[in-house]
Amino acid sequence: MSEAAAIGGRTQGAGPLFWAVTWLGLAIIYAPALYLLLASLNPGEQLGLVSPSAFSLVWYEALLHDRRLLAALQESAWIGGATALVAAPLGLMAAMSYRQMRRWRDAFLLAVLLAMFIPGSIEGLGLSALLKATSIKSSWLTVVAGHLVWTLPFTFTVSLVGLAAIKPVTIAAARDLGAGPFRAFVDVTLPLMRNSLIASLLFAFLLSLNEFARAYYLVGRQNTLPLHMFGAMNSGASPTIYAFSGLVLIVSFAIIGGLLMRRAAAGR
Amino acid sequence: MAEAAQRVTAPRLFAGRIGRPAFLLALPPLIVLAAFGAAPLLLIVVWSFWTFDPATYWIKPDFTLVNYLGALSPDRTPVLARTAGLALLTAAISTAIAVPAASALCLFARSRLRALLLALFTIPFFTSGLVRAFAWRLVLGRDGFINQALLALGLIHAPLEWLLFSDFAVVVGMVAADLPFAIVPIVLAYAGIEASVLRASEDLGAGFWTTFRRVVLPLILPGVVSGFLFVFVVAIGASSEVQLLGGAGVSSISIMINDVMRVVNFPLAFAIATLVVVMLFLALLFAQRLLGLSKLLSELGS
Repeated sequence: MSEAAAIGGRTQGAGPLFWAVTWLGLAIIYAPALYLLLASLNPGEQLGLVSPSAFSLVWYEALLHDRRLLAALQESAWIGGATALVAAPLGLMAAMSYRQMRRWRDAFLLAVLLAMFIPGSIEGLGLSALLKATSIKSSWLTVVAGHLVWTLPFTFTVSLVGLAAIKPVTIAAARDLGAGPFRAFVDVTLPLMRNSLIASLLFAFLLSLNEFARAYYLVGRQNTLPLHMFGAMNSGASPTIYAFSGLVLIVSFAIIGGLLMRRAAAGR
Repeated sequence: MAEAAQRVTAPRLFAGRIGRPAFLLALPPLIVLAAFGAAPLLLIVVWSFWTFDPATYWIKPDFTLVNYLGALSPDRTPVLARTAGLALLTAAISTAIAVPAASALCLFARSRLRALLLALFTIPFFTSGLVRAFAWRLVLGRDGFINQALLALGLIHAPLEWLLFSDFAVVVGMVAADLPFAIVPIVLAYAGIEASVLRASEDLGAGFWTTFRRVVLPLILPGVVSGFLFVFVVAIGASSEVQLLGGAGVSSISIMINDVMRVVNFPLAFAIATLVVVMLFLALLFAQRLLGLSKLLSELGS
């Protein structure tokens, strides 16, 4: 669709109504997270809001001394990093082959995207049973295996959108100039896909970092971050968990915000 | 026709020997999906018909249906029905928000605002679902924001107890978490509508609501139904929202599977999981057959 709104004329009241619902939806998504962020700045033991002059980072400072939390953070960082490094190229491969496919096109698309809809607890359960049957010990690697399936639909989609933005003539030109398929890929496609690949890596990292249901079944001795947090949330939470929740939100939003800004800047 | 055109214009990154390169490229992702995604699911289905072996706390290959009798026993069916009911409610509410919201984005917003709002609706998906569910505790709790606000306004005289640790809280948490699944398919369906179609309806004298009801709604219906099914399917498998926001003793399928696993009755857990997976596959198959799910999703790449 074009730059302008599709319907610019009179809307018989639908405009205000639809916009109201839109803001309501955004409020449902963002208001609790915002409230949590503000409450985490309250230095008291009691939850709730305080005036901005009383804001304090004491609970955030307390995080630095939580050894178990830091260990979980490290574990999740490894798992997220490994997942991203494998899932991003896999997603690109899947997207490239999907665009050339003819016969199995629809089936392939559904097979890749299906993982988005299988409940994590069931995938985790199945994978852990497979590990038990093959006597493979749970470790950070088994979590990565679970997270690959979970993140692939997203790296696939991001790559697909990125590939769609490449003009076919660009590749054709490289081929006409004598570049082999591999050379054309390395010298033309890959540089053009740089932003998509970065987005793929970061999305996969974040999805892995925040994944709970699969990791529950697949972790080894060391808990991942969400598992550690889940324990803390259910055990008469000390206010540090609010600070930590706040930190997780800030980091996630910062990464995605940065990505979008880059994209907006590149689009201009 | 459109599909054929798309095929022609799609760049052949490895032009020449068509067919084989596409297959070779597809191989690594397919192997990962098969080994870590499909194989575990298949094992679950097969092993759900095997017998629990109390000697080894594992299974032995004797065919049995006893696990399904267990999964569908009178103390478990209410949990299955309840999970499905809450998921349906969540899907209905999410769709009721998503249709006007996606329509506002696609009909009334200029392209830059549309992109920004669409991003705002999808971003939360990449943040911690656990933290976002947890945040509702602060809002809905006894001393939470809503109760304090209502008390301060004098609308209630004692805090509302049913706001948190209740089905209400679970549904609110799930709607907030799964809204992107309802909105994105509708936005994709809108992408397939030619602006001239709307203008034609306007020129023929139809008011907005007539155009919306008779032209727009039929065209976005596949997106609406797909979104509904997506949310339903995701909500069926929800675990953190139920665990963090549900009341005492409130269970869901995911929690039930966890509980069964705590007493290591693998085949029973497999049987419950199989029932869920079959139900989800049927829902997605329905979406593919009747609505052309893959065509809708292929808008992603164009």
